[in-house]
Amino acid sequence: MSKNFTTLLFLLFVFSMFENVIKAQSTRPSRSEDGLRVMQLMKNPNGVRRYPDALPSLLRIMNEQTWAKFDTDPLFISELTDERIFENPILYINCDDQTNLEFSTEENQALRRYMELGGFVYLDAGIKASFLGADLGHSYAAWEERPEVKEWFQEIFPEKAFIPLDRSHDLFRIFFRGLPKNADLQIEASQKRLPETVLTFVEQEKWPQGTYSFVGIKVKGRLACVASPICAMGWGRDEFGNWIPPISFRIRESAENFDENLKLASFTGGTFEVIREDGLKDIIYSEPGQRPAWVQEPTGRWRIFKYYSGEEISNYAHSFYARLGMNVFLYALLN
Amino acid sequence: MRKICYYCFLGHWLNFLVGQIPMAPPPLLNPIQLSENNVTDSNETVSHPPKRSSQLETIQKAQIDLRHGELGQRVGAAKLLGKYAGSLSSSSLIGALDDRSALVRRASMVSLSEHFLNGYPVYDKSLVEKIFSKLGDSDVEVRREVSTLIPRLVSPMMRGGVERVVINGRSVLRPTSASLRPDLYALTQRAFLDEDAIVRQNVLKYHSYLRVPLPPLSLSKLLRDQDRGVLLTALDRISMNASQPRIMDEIERLSRHEDRGVRLKVVDVARDCNRYHTKYRSILRSMTEDPDAEVTSMAAVELARFGEKINPSVIERIKNYLLSAKGMSSQVTTILYAVSAMGSDGIGVYKSLTEHGSSRMRTIAWQRFLSLSSGWENSQNWIPALRDRDEGVRKAVVNTLRGRIKGLDRATLGSLVESPNEDVRKFLAESLIDAEQEAVEAYGFDLLIDEESHVRASTIRSLGARRSPGWLKIMERSLLDDEYVIQRAAMDALLAEPVRGISVLQEYLSQNPQSRISSMIRIELQRSGVQP
Repeated sequence: MSKNFTTLLFLLFVFSMFENVIKAQSTRPSRSEDGLRVMQLMKNPNGVRRYPDALPSLLRIMNEQTWAKFDTDPLFISELTDERIFENPILYINCDDQTNLEFSTEENQALRRYMELGGFVYLDAGIKASFLGADLGHSYAAWEERPEVKEWFQEIFPEKAFIPLDRSHDLFRIFFRGLPKNADLQIEASQKRLPETVLTFVEQEKWPQGTYSFVGIKVKGRLACVASPICAMGWGRDEFGNWIPPISFRIRESAENFDENLKLASFTGGTFEVIREDGLKDIIYSEPGQRPAWVQEPTGRWRIFKYYSGEEISNYAHSFYARLGMNVFLYALLN
Repeated sequence: MRKICYYCFLGHWLNFLVGQIPMAPPPLLNPIQLSENNVTDSNETVSHPPKRSSQLETIQKAQIDLRHGELGQRVGAAKLLGKYAGSLSSSSLIGALDDRSALVRRASMVSLSEHFLNGYPVYDKSLVEKIFSKLGDSDVEVRREVSTLIPRLVSPMMRGGVERVVINGRSVLRPTSASLRPDLYALTQRAFLDEDAIVRQNVLKYHSYLRVPLPPLSLSKLLRDQDRGVLLTALDRISMNASQPRIMDEIERLSRHEDRGVRLKVVDVARDCNRYHTKYRSILRSMTEDPDAEVTSMAAVELARFGEKINPSVIERIKNYLLSAKGMSSQVTTILYAVSAMGSDGIGVYKSLTEHGSSRMRTIAWQRFLSLSSGWENSQNWIPALRDRDEGVRKAVVNTLRGRIKGLDRATLGSLVESPNEDVRKFLAESLIDAEQEAVEAYGFDLLIDEESHVRASTIRSLGARRSPGWLKIMERSLLDDEYVIQRAAMDALLAEPVRGISVLQEYLSQNPQSRISSMIRIELQRSGVQP
């Protein structure tokens, strides 16, 4: 009985969400469009978008693979005081695409109100490890928001802070669960998905069960904003269905005697501390002008960074990021 | 007591002799500093990071491990050497490509890739050939790494040069070939049909860099590949064999492939290969019957580009596809622009799209519709465009109309003069210059008292150019306006009339010597040779 009642409540909730969406669609000045429209912030409307096809492509895939219906043409806004934000429940911001993350008091107030009224904000590239610097083509699973985001949200919600999302959070399994299998990757069942060391690291540490490093803010008990390392790089598809652009992997590998050898091996660069999921810190060893070399983990273990590129790596990464991105938008739709 | 003092003194003296403590602390020395600065004299245990070895020492140790270590050590050494790009590391790693363990070979190959990707390629031709030869390795991961690296191996591997050989006891320099070694050439040809899809795909992608042709038989097999990536790459590579009957048959078969992306690719291929054989055009024709509207549209617009007449039912499908498209994706953009190739048939499509929800789509549709149909000749065609809610659409249409429309009539002016949009009223004001007299008389005054100064200024300029009866009075009054832009428009109109206009300006100057526009009038009059 109680289960049926819960189901009924859920259906009513979903219906009311759609009703609101439909109302929002009908009140906006544009002509009728099917599906929910996602807003995308571009502070400089004429600025360069690093992944222009990413969001439309993800929304299209979502329309093909799920029951949700999104308008594949995002609504671009350049200011948070734009009144249209109150007509659309999801706001997507690629932090790397913005000229800066400085907003007026009015804009911050509008965003606070938007989130309090039920709006959802997705800050892509809202997490970025310090050692990446100005390199926009990398992501790294740090477990804290980037400093500019922290500063910005302290102005919006001084009483709140970003909290890491647990690996068991619903956001990671609301529609897609786990990591892509061969069938999801559209490859033969016998084909090797990834190199062995890569697959082991991905399954056990990088993206266990299809999760990733996310932090979020709850407003009135609801997750109203999430920030993640850049995911949009994995959403784009060309007209033939090929993933674009190519993505490579950074993974940690160990080997016999690394705990001794890496401690003593020649090294002339700088070190960076990065917060881990468990709150402890990794020390990243990075040579100037090159990608990070190795890491000293708080457990005392030393591991080397290895870089893998190629079709299989790229396809796997794209498939993962697309599934993750769809989970985020579907979570936003249902919560 | 005396004994106690004696033993203490003796103890200190002995300590001093064996050097464990200084005889006396230096004056004013902080004890904490002491323990840091002179650790050997301290009895406390202080942890310090071990001293790192030099790069040469690190590489040498790794080389020894790689050559003589146990499996785990060899793997570790191969991984570590990836961090030290240079000839020493590279040569060791290349040597390890023959290791009996696949784990070592994989680690070595990944480390070599790291060197290349970090901008430290191997230049020695024989060493690079050694790396490339691993395209035939028994381990799939090694083969994948090598095939991914092909673009970076090409330059040193395909480089010609000279070699010194001894012929009949004489040392002779002779040129070496800039082509692939025969055994590597054969290896590449075999790799087209490697058991691993990623290797097949990479070799297909890069074989032309290696100047290794793709045999038609291999291509034919690859066009039947079960892997989507391989299939799409193979479709990109058919131009050299496009006229082969078996290849055409495969393309025809693929035009009915279940995957929409593959069918779209076939449209692309058939368009490009049309010059090799007419059959490709018939494939395109058959694809206009495709169940997917996008495939149909792409095939139809390509045929239209070849000058073929498109069936009305297909045109209707294209129209419906574009009308249902959300936003301007790259495919929609391609089709939207390509509809122009249908000539008069495309006009109806564009006309329908002027009602589309996407403002970008409406903009293009209006521009194309007006251009293809010479729609500027009849105001009924473009009046709805000037009522569009989007300023971008209106501006694009105005730019299309500007300079093309002749003599606005009273009805047209009347239907737009009360437009809520300033840009439309400004356009009307500009158009007064050659509008029908009846229209100017009916609505010129409305525009002259418009709430927006820019509309009023444009009206003044148009009336100044027309020089209808009473225009001088209007200009004279306009010089007294509060808005500089109005004064400026009136001044410009009066300056263009050297007899009566100049005298109006002189009179204005004499009555308003200090007004904002006066200095400008003075300068302009002087430039015209008139003493103000």
